[in-house]
Amino acid sequence: MKVSRLIGLAIAVMMLLSLGLAPTLAQDCDGEVIELEFMNWWGAAREALMDTLIGHFQEENPCIRIINQVQPWDNRAELLATAAASSNPPGIIMSTRPETYHFAISGLIIPIDHFVEAHGTDLSVFYDGEIGLQYWNGELYGLPMPTAGGLTSLYIYNKDMLRDAGFDPEAPPKTWQELEEMSAAITVADPMGVDVMGTQVIGITGGDAAFVSWLYTNNGRYASDDGRTLLFNSPEGIETLEWMVNFTNNINGGVENVADFFQDTAFAQGDHPWYEDKLAFLRINTSFYGHYNVNDPEGYADTSHWGTMLRPYNGDNPNATHAGTTGYNYSGAWAYTIPAVHPPEKQEAAFKFAEFIGVHPLGGCAFLFAQSRPSPVKACNENPAYYEVNPTWSVVLEGLATDVAVSITPVQGQLAEILANAVEEALFGVKSPADALNDAHEEMQALLDEFWAEFDADNM
Amino acid sequence: MAQASLKAKHDQTDITWKTRFQEWWFRNRALIGFAFILPWFAGFIIFDAAPFIYNLYLSFTDYQIGTVGTPPWIGLENYTKIFTADKLFSKSMYNTVYYLGFSVPLRLIFAFLVALILNLRVRGMELYRTLFYVPSVVPLVAATVIFAGFLNTRYGFLNQFLVLIGAMPVRWLSSPDAIKPSLILLSLWGFGGQMIIFLAGLQSIPEDLYEAAAIDGGTGWHRLVYITVPLMTPTIFFNLLLGLIGGFQVFEQVFILIGTNGGPLQAGLVYMLHVYNKAFRDFEFGYSAALSVILFLIIFVLTLMVVYTSNRWVFYGDAQDDEI
Repeated sequence: MKVSRLIGLAIAVMMLLSLGLAPTLAQDCDGEVIELEFMNWWGAAREALMDTLIGHFQEENPCIRIINQVQPWDNRAELLATAAASSNPPGIIMSTRPETYHFAISGLIIPIDHFVEAHGTDLSVFYDGEIGLQYWNGELYGLPMPTAGGLTSLYIYNKDMLRDAGFDPEAPPKTWQELEEMSAAITVADPMGVDVMGTQVIGITGGDAAFVSWLYTNNGRYASDDGRTLLFNSPEGIETLEWMVNFTNNINGGVENVADFFQDTAFAQGDHPWYEDKLAFLRINTSFYGHYNVNDPEGYADTSHWGTMLRPYNGDNPNATHAGTTGYNYSGAWAYTIPAVHPPEKQEAAFKFAEFIGVHPLGGCAFLFAQSRPSPVKACNENPAYYEVNPTWSVVLEGLATDVAVSITPVQGQLAEILANAVEEALFGVKSPADALNDAHEEMQALLDEFWAEFDADNM
Repeated sequence: MAQASLKAKHDQTDITWKTRFQEWWFRNRALIGFAFILPWFAGFIIFDAAPFIYNLYLSFTDYQIGTVGTPPWIGLENYTKIFTADKLFSKSMYNTVYYLGFSVPLRLIFAFLVALILNLRVRGMELYRTLFYVPSVVPLVAATVIFAGFLNTRYGFLNQFLVLIGAMPVRWLSSPDAIKPSLILLSLWGFGGQMIIFLAGLQSIPEDLYEAAAIDGGTGWHRLVYITVPLMTPTIFFNLLLGLIGGFQVFEQVFILIGTNGGPLQAGLVYMLHVYNKAFRDFEFGYSAALSVILFLIIFVLTLMVVYTSNRWVFYGDAQDDEI
């Protein structure tokens, strides 16, 4: 036999074997197999985990074949927009809250209330705040899978650095004032900027999100519950931004120092100052535990070295307390949404899958547990094994309880950009915090009014 | 005899066939010509002209993602909004013009100077040419990531070098004042393409002109100013046009280096980033289409102006000969 034939045969055998091993093969379906392309951004690192989950789903639903389409993050916006708007979109799409809302008002995705009713899905298993984020105009458009904690109230802190600076490692800062005191004691400047940092209170990307987070720890609010009135330029808001500017200038030496300190680093990639014991307090979202465990398993396992704390609040404001925000961040409040163009049977299959990866013990629960991060499903988080994989689990649950859902609209992208610029203008000293917020408020409210006027006219 | 007759008949048939084919070819030469350019033309229609016309149409509509059926026609509303209500239009246009105002001439000069050096007759020149061209074949994404490392304030090569020579480090990517110079610096990276074109132009200059100048006592400077530069003006003109068009459309490197918001105080928000944000972040495709039409018009007018003024400074040898 010729060599080329041998190679061809070997390739054919390998392909057959790989097909046989693939978790996506529906084996015992006695009817027509429905193929469902699952467009998601869970990343290559979690692909195997997702494939396992899909395998479990297909064992229970042999007539539904899930094609796991993990997408690159870099050009997410174009991929999502073109896929959603095409005549042949994926069967189920992972989208953020603003995207979900936008697709909803554009008629690109369907509300799933009728599926929830038909399948008897118990929505009370979710935290109210989590499921509440997925409603637009009174209709439910997706089931949450991760917590919406893109901006949770959680911080991790370095106990060794606290100890070295003369503070009690088991008593992390509870208030802004304590955070200032500890950060000032820990931060070390050098000719190139900052070498060791207590913490930073501004966002590295998108200062608006950081501002909104701190705003809620000063008893302020971003917008009214109906999302029609912006409230962030209240006295609490102005006080918050002033505090952020002062902290950044006085303790970190300015906004540029902060940007330089974190330049070209990423927690998920393992090259973040946290891993080098150069950062004492780090604002996290719930994905960080999994990344920490992957990048530094020994450090993660050593709880004498690190702990979890809640976002400090303004100790001078008697009404302020710990708070986190959910659903504000442009990349937060992920859900699985179902495109409108597909036939009903495919949409139903998509809902079944969304339900599985949302609430099933072998689905969403297991997927998030494997990453040491909480689930939007209350019962999943009661798994005692969480305390073993995440030694600070009790604080995580405490943090989830403090989360506040923020009202946003489909024009959140534009609003966030204006607010981010206002925060930057204050940080760079272009405007005073009060002027920056008031100017931004005027512009943003006009944009919001325009949106609601159009929306109300369309829905008369 | 019979054999000779058969051969003559065969030759005649052959000639007749050839003649007929040639006649057919000549008669239909226009069609055949069109057939040859059809693949390119089809590609142009499908991938350039049709999207352009559709984009023009969309710019007069309120097309948003997911608009079912015909998007609502809103006339000039998008254009009015651009000039009256969009603060980022002027900001992004300013940033872009600033960028190309420096990057295009700098890149032209740099590429020209390197091409001059690489045109010298030196041993191993092929190797040098290859080395200088290599950066141009590095994908832009990879080059930008490498550059991000160079520009890192704390650990980047550039700042380490500046500190070494006793200068102050520069906050290349974190200071609003340094963002645009950083982007301009990055634009020099891919000068190899222009350099190769300049090199080809330099090599097409007749040697006898230099010899004549040498006989007349012309120095190297004289040869450069009075022979090389004038004869290179068509190539400079070509590279200038491409540079301007590319400069207005700068996107990828900015997107990778500082993200979609354009860096601190949006000092690096170039025009194409604004177009991108409007389309893919805000889903305002009609508005984004209008922004891109404006960009097209600006590039078109500028190109016309450059072409129009080229009569005054571009030296075409043939035209000169005709006049003589």
